[in-house]
Amino acid sequence: MNRQLFEYDPMLGYRFIPRLKARMEHEDGGYLVRTNGLGFRSEHEFDAPRRSGIRRVLLFGDSFTAGDGVSNKKRYGDQLESLVDDVEVWNYGLPGSGTDQQYLIFRELAANTDHDLLIIAVLVENIRRVAARYRVAETGEGELRCLAKPYYSLEEGQLVLHHVPVPKGTVAEADLPSEQVDRGGRLPWLRTAINRMGPGAKKWAQKMTQYDPVPDYGDPDGPHWQLMSAILRHWIGEATRPVVLLPLPLYQHVEETSSAGAYRARFQEVAAASGAILHDPLDDLLEYSPQERRNFRFEVDIHPTPEAHRALAESLATIVRSSLPGGVGG
Amino acid sequence: MSSHVLGISAFYHDAAAALVRDGKLVAAVQEERFSRKKHDPRLPKSAINYCLEEAFIEADDLDAVVFYDNSLLTLERALCSIASGAANGNEVWMKSAPTLLGVKPFIADLLRKRLGIDVPILFAKHHTSHAASAFYPSPFDEAAVLTVDGVGEWATTSIHRGSDVALEAVSEIRYPHSLGLLYSAFTYFTGFKVNSGEYKLMGLAPYGEPRYVDLICDNLIELNEDGSFRLNLEYFGYIDSNRMTNAKFDELFGGPPRTPEARIGRREMDIAASIQKVTETAVLGLARRARETTGCSKLCLAGGVALNCVANGELLREGIFEEVWIQPAAGDAGGAVGAALLASYQKFGGVRALNSDGRDRQQGSYLGPRFGPAEVKAFLDRESYPYHLISKESDLAARAAKLLAQGKVVGLLHGRMEFGPRSLGGRSILGDPRSADTQTVMNLKIKYRESFRPFAPSVLRERMLDFFDLDVESPYMLLVAPVKKDRCLPFERDPESEDLLAMVRAPRSDIPAVTHIDYSARVQSVDGIDHPFYHRILSDFESLTGFGVLVNTSFNVRGEPIVCSPQDAYRCFQRTAMDALILENCLLLKDEQPEIPEDDSWKEEYELD
Repeated sequence: MNRQLFEYDPMLGYRFIPRLKARMEHEDGGYLVRTNGLGFRSEHEFDAPRRSGIRRVLLFGDSFTAGDGVSNKKRYGDQLESLVDDVEVWNYGLPGSGTDQQYLIFRELAANTDHDLLIIAVLVENIRRVAARYRVAETGEGELRCLAKPYYSLEEGQLVLHHVPVPKGTVAEADLPSEQVDRGGRLPWLRTAINRMGPGAKKWAQKMTQYDPVPDYGDPDGPHWQLMSAILRHWIGEATRPVVLLPLPLYQHVEETSSAGAYRARFQEVAAASGAILHDPLDDLLEYSPQERRNFRFEVDIHPTPEAHRALAESLATIVRSSLPGGVGG
Repeated sequence: MSSHVLGISAFYHDAAAALVRDGKLVAAVQEERFSRKKHDPRLPKSAINYCLEEAFIEADDLDAVVFYDNSLLTLERALCSIASGAANGNEVWMKSAPTLLGVKPFIADLLRKRLGIDVPILFAKHHTSHAASAFYPSPFDEAAVLTVDGVGEWATTSIHRGSDVALEAVSEIRYPHSLGLLYSAFTYFTGFKVNSGEYKLMGLAPYGEPRYVDLICDNLIELNEDGSFRLNLEYFGYIDSNRMTNAKFDELFGGPPRTPEARIGRREMDIAASIQKVTETAVLGLARRARETTGCSKLCLAGGVALNCVANGELLREGIFEEVWIQPAAGDAGGAVGAALLASYQKFGGVRALNSDGRDRQQGSYLGPRFGPAEVKAFLDRESYPYHLISKESDLAARAAKLLAQGKVVGLLHGRMEFGPRSLGGRSILGDPRSADTQTVMNLKIKYRESFRPFAPSVLRERMLDFFDLDVESPYMLLVAPVKKDRCLPFERDPESEDLLAMVRAPRSDIPAVTHIDYSARVQSVDGIDHPFYHRILSDFESLTGFGVLVNTSFNVRGEPIVCSPQDAYRCFQRTAMDALILENCLLLKDEQPEIPEDDSWKEEYELD
């Protein structure tokens, strides 16, 4: 039995219950979760005054950044604090969120926060989430239902926000058009079937079929990428401090069963167009041995392990050092 | 640098975990509360998770894990029993082997692989764990410690002498001579579930006449002058079969065991009364032996037999000891607490600092999880259940008291969950004790259980002597005491009657719902320190009615573990005839809740006990 971690939020759909201390049971044993007064999984209170000499980084992302599967202090954002001198990382990560919701978090809750660097971590799968209007979630009784999320549409080059306030309650998946629902993967039924065949079957099937978990990046003019890049360009444009754009690969890219070429090209384009600092960690991660890279995800859960968080933090540390005021310190 | 020790009891019945930091009990909880499987014996992974959560530490911050018994000694005993020439030894072995050989010896592997816990694993002896669970949390610097249960490794009864952090073994009685197994044999014979239904047998006892005492003492148990005892093994099946009694036992009591769920007759009532008397005599004998052999004037009790609160009451009234303290989780679950405390004091230098105000160190036994107001609100909002948010505790207590005074039945989930089998105001169902119908209504429409079973009262500590002949605190509902004579009503008992319901319905006092047929009650005294909110409800109820007493029964239905989370509580609330539910600072009224479809199939989720 795990505690309920989230509460309804009219702007974001949901957020962490504030001031929660929990340990979540997990295949690796369990992990500690602490949330702050604003409802984010952070060791820092987000109304704390600036500490003299401490540089502040604001970090946005989904469950990879919020740290599903690992304790707060083992996440890459928290590990940056020990790798880079005089820095604190405020982690606004929200599990299950799309880049659209993360942008809303920035606009509504963080834009006026004094900081030195902004990191936008985009799990590349988020391209599917920005196109969704609902997300499948498990109820307290273990039933799968759909929860509404805020979303943007792109109308004549402008981002138009919908579903705010986010409708309360749940909807049966069968009652919704399939293109409106994010099920957490491209082919959930096939994933379930292949998973039943054993741990090696999925990897084999993906390699043999040259499975691309995020085909939307293949077409730079496709509607999903157009929406995603518009959100990123607006966000980066509104930022008052340097922005690091951090595309986080899926395990298929890290384990080289799928090509990362398309998404990498898209993020290079959007960074160039918006003036963001692109830090693509994939090359650093590929330096590790295949066995080490397999250990970057859990046996079943695909979220990053503590080892993966460490590797990400080390990859990110150099760019953070050089992007912060004070140059190449740390 | 703090030391953290995790205690575990598992793989027999009532798996549990407990965590001790620098000698102080931080958390303790039974696995059943999370798994929703009553007396769940499996590896308590959720209980362990909770303990780490409460301490907010990583698994590798633990200094040690202590298992509550020694698997090798248990295996030795099992092998010796089988080798003793038992006719059905193979049957016994087949039942016990999977646990003895398959899990227990590999507990370290199990913890490492399944829970990521890779720290030293220590093993305590079963009765030492029980003794530690009784002595260390007690308010005594020095005490005799008596533990009585079915069996643990070889011992069935032990006497220790505790002094500060030292715990010295004085004597023990060994398997197969066991008071716990004797009581369980009668539990089985009267049609209740062994290791679960013992408290039902105790509840049935006042309805009977102790007609079989001599038969039991002449044939089944030899009670010696020095307090020791021996069983006549010719009548029991537990050594050489998987049954508690045998044909000779049936013959002695005039027929086969009662079939579970069959009508309870005069024989069962009289047997219950008789074995209760014999148990009380045996416990008193053991207590005298403990007094003489340790020289201590205070007593601590644990082991499953210590949950026999009628015997506890007798022990107290007998005055063998000046003071008695009983571990509220006296059964195997409490072994987790004892094992952790034992290692903390004897291996990691924990300091046993007694409370200066003389209170015990069990913290009211509120050692389980709490679900705060924000979590409750998030749950109710997510599910769109109607509720009233009443932020001021005094207003909420007053509202609850008013509902209770109107005869409503109120579920209460507030603060940390209790450790042990009793609900003490953290996870309770409350009712008005003044009504003669309360017992029947609560039994049949809320608990869905046999209507003969009595309910227990919670009483304001400061009003206890107004209602009961009990002049010591009883915060853990472990003492039975007489209801004050001036509150009792004349009641003619027909010693031959088999109509339990007629007896239940006859008013016996001005608090009939909590007065047993023998004018006794299993009392919980409530003060304003351990659970101020519950104390406030009682006080407000007193202001409205003049009675500082409430019916307090565990928040569950028959066969279900006590509720843990707001989700569990809401589910139970909706499935029963409860009128209102308090979840932290939210009040839910039944008539405002959404209709649920008529469906009783959920009752099959829980195995009847």
